[in-house]
Amino acid sequence: MDYAVETIGLTKVFSDWWGRAKVYAVDDLNLQIQHNEVFGLLGPNGSGKTTTIKMLLGLLHPTKGHALLLGGDGADPKINARIGFLPEESYLYRFLNARETLDFYGRLFGLSREVRTARIEALLDMVGLKAVASRSVGTYSKGMARRIGLAQALINDPDLLILDEPTTGLDPIGTRQIKDLILKLAERGKTILLCSHLLADVEDVCHRIAILYGGRIQAQGRVKDLLQQTDKRQIVTDAISDAAVDRIRNILHGEGVKFEISSPMERLETFFIHTVAEAQQQAQPTSGAVSTTQIGDFLTGGAQKESIIHKLTGTSEAEKPVATPVRAEKVAETKVPKREGDKDVLRQLTTQASTERVAPAEPSQTGPVETKTPDKSPQTRKKILDDLLGGSSPKEQKPQGEGKEGDSGHA
Amino acid sequence: MRRIWAVARTTVRQALRMKVAAAFIVLLLILLPILGLTVTGDGTLKGRLQTFVSYGFSLTSMLLSFLTIIVSIYTLTSDIEHRQIYTVITKPIRRSHLIVGKLLGVLTLDVALLTLFGGIIYGATMLMPWFVKATPQERDEVDRQFYTARMSLVPPQPDVSEEVEALYQKLEKNDQLQQIYRNYPKAEILRLLTNQKRLEKRAAPVGQRLLWEFKNVRPLDPNQSLFVRFKYDISVTPPDEQAYGEWYIGDLRQLGAGPDAAGRIYQVPRRDPVRTFREIEVPANCIAGDGYLAIGFINPPLNQAVVIFPIEDGLEVLYKADTFTGNFIRAGILVLLRLVFLACLGMMAGSFLSFPVAILFCLVIFLTGSVSGFVVESFDSLSQNIGIVYTYTVKGLVQLLPQFDKNNPTTFLVPARIIRWAFIGRVALVMVGLQSLLSLAFALLIFRFRELARVII
Repeated sequence: MDYAVETIGLTKVFSDWWGRAKVYAVDDLNLQIQHNEVFGLLGPNGSGKTTTIKMLLGLLHPTKGHALLLGGDGADPKINARIGFLPEESYLYRFLNARETLDFYGRLFGLSREVRTARIEALLDMVGLKAVASRSVGTYSKGMARRIGLAQALINDPDLLILDEPTTGLDPIGTRQIKDLILKLAERGKTILLCSHLLADVEDVCHRIAILYGGRIQAQGRVKDLLQQTDKRQIVTDAISDAAVDRIRNILHGEGVKFEISSPMERLETFFIHTVAEAQQQAQPTSGAVSTTQIGDFLTGGAQKESIIHKLTGTSEAEKPVATPVRAEKVAETKVPKREGDKDVLRQLTTQASTERVAPAEPSQTGPVETKTPDKSPQTRKKILDDLLGGSSPKEQKPQGEGKEGDSGHA
Repeated sequence: MRRIWAVARTTVRQALRMKVAAAFIVLLLILLPILGLTVTGDGTLKGRLQTFVSYGFSLTSMLLSFLTIIVSIYTLTSDIEHRQIYTVITKPIRRSHLIVGKLLGVLTLDVALLTLFGGIIYGATMLMPWFVKATPQERDEVDRQFYTARMSLVPPQPDVSEEVEALYQKLEKNDQLQQIYRNYPKAEILRLLTNQKRLEKRAAPVGQRLLWEFKNVRPLDPNQSLFVRFKYDISVTPPDEQAYGEWYIGDLRQLGAGPDAAGRIYQVPRRDPVRTFREIEVPANCIAGDGYLAIGFINPPLNQAVVIFPIEDGLEVLYKADTFTGNFIRAGILVLLRLVFLACLGMMAGSFLSFPVAILFCLVIFLTGSVSGFVVESFDSLSQNIGIVYTYTVKGLVQLLPQFDKNNPTTFLVPARIIRWAFIGRVALVMVGLQSLLSLAFALLIFRFRELARVII
């Protein structure tokens, strides 16, 4: 089978000055990442995540085994043309400004002037650095450098995006933006290898994960399979009356299960985004990055516009990086899993009396619960903040990718 | 090619942002005009011009050489040390193209700076007679002896092998070899005897003459002057350190032809300081139509000592063959060839060494190349005792070293000696075609297989 990323018995041993083997950074790693998959490589510091990525990209030579990217060698320029890479820190030329930086990387991809210009402007808009695009990168804060680092990884509209700790140093809006971007790229058929130790970020966007420790895979599989607590159920409702709560308590009391009823708290991330959005609406000045929620057109289906530009300017197709066909031109910013299956159970619960707490008994087996999906107008793509502010619980913001529909839907 | 140029552009920007590069550029921009205003030389206009060109060109050449070494090493080692290489090499560019791009960037910078500073030196040189308010005589002199490019002819080395062999046999027969040359190998003895015999051919005892003949002498303009540049040595130095000489310059084949002789012969009595370069100027119409020219020297009895013309630089004939501007441009090309080599050397060193070690490595090569004559001679003298070991190990490596001192452009510009294209071609072939490409090949080979993210514990 053809994988986007594949390692076969990949091993890396770091030696001392005398050539004596000292550290097994990666040990017999067998990894298969399918096309159109968001894969998370997790692990504590020094577990071999970054070493694995460096071997995939040809920056390190494996001591043993093989690493394949898009079916080829990660050091092959033809393969590199289809890859975007954001290293663990944004290693950029400090003397170039943001626009020059992106122009340089665009030239390395052999992009024509027209395409380069269009993409640079779109990416600067997307990462919120347009206002400071003439400042040299050396004067940027860590978060701003991270943003421009992300932009350089996207300038070729890559088929495979390798992100090593992409949210390090980013503010919550930047973090959210990267997660949204990952979801969008996944929906366009891109493959993403996300390397991080920020578990919440990985959990929010990844289809499958592998946990590394000591250079070996300790656990691997779909996020749902690894995280789902089959012995517990969670039901989230709109605000209901105290009487309804009492009836639910009574029912659960009767079932003899341990339960807890409380009002959910807003996530600090959501609150922060809301606050910054309000400040931006008041046009308060900033010398840093502007928090935006835009995604570059060419990354979200604007490739068709570029094709027209190519035709008009006569730019050859060979100059373009290979692009995977776009699956959806416009996608909703936040997908909320459906929970229709649990509606009946909820109705039954809200019509019965409840008790406060009951001693645990046999866990009840209930089917999936469905919740209403918030209305998504075409304009939502431009108003992600509004969507985020109006969104529901964190679980509801998980992607609706393959194998994800039941993640938060079990009660 | 587009990717290579992208790297080259970034390399130029990187170099211009380096403080050391800025310091060198500012230093030259300040020093060159000051030098032009303050040099005096020997007090004459010609001396002033010669000193300025010599100092200005040497200073520019040296600082640009240092700058090339630093930039070419820094651009590669900095990318590796600060890890920008991670985001560059993972783009669709071959490692070899990255090296070539960086090299192209360094050379673009070199060409730009060399043009700038060369232009400043040239401008100051051309304006100096006006600036110092030179007399018409002085202007005329520098027009003939400095603002020109003169072909240089040196007498060929005479074949003395038979005489040397005969002398060797004689010494051996008389058992004098071991007395004079104790423990010397035969090859070394023959070399010393050859030098001795050749020097005898360049020595004029009191009352005797020396004759040098040249063929195919073709000046650019027969109405211009011909120059005999010489340096005396003398067996007994007189108190005033002056030596007399009786010179005959022209078609000496016609000495017996009387007043009807077609060619002109100039007789020039001289009194010159010993061990100092001097020039005799005569009209170039003394050269025969077939390009024949003879120079005779008679050691007059006034000297009371043997006059010797050193083998290396005792005598040469100079005549105008090109313009000063053309020669100046070729001098710049000679410097550029040196910079090309140093840039390739820097790339090679940067491909596998850290910045400070690579700098040290390149500076050693640069300084060794600047005194290559001395280095080669030193190793040759060592070879007397370790001949075989030297021949098969060090000698090959020493021959690979650049010989900057042998193609120093100021040694041509100061005496207004022409730099011939054939000479530039030879230097380019050796320094660029062989030494630079060898360095570059090593750089590409090492960089291709290098682990850029290597960690040594």
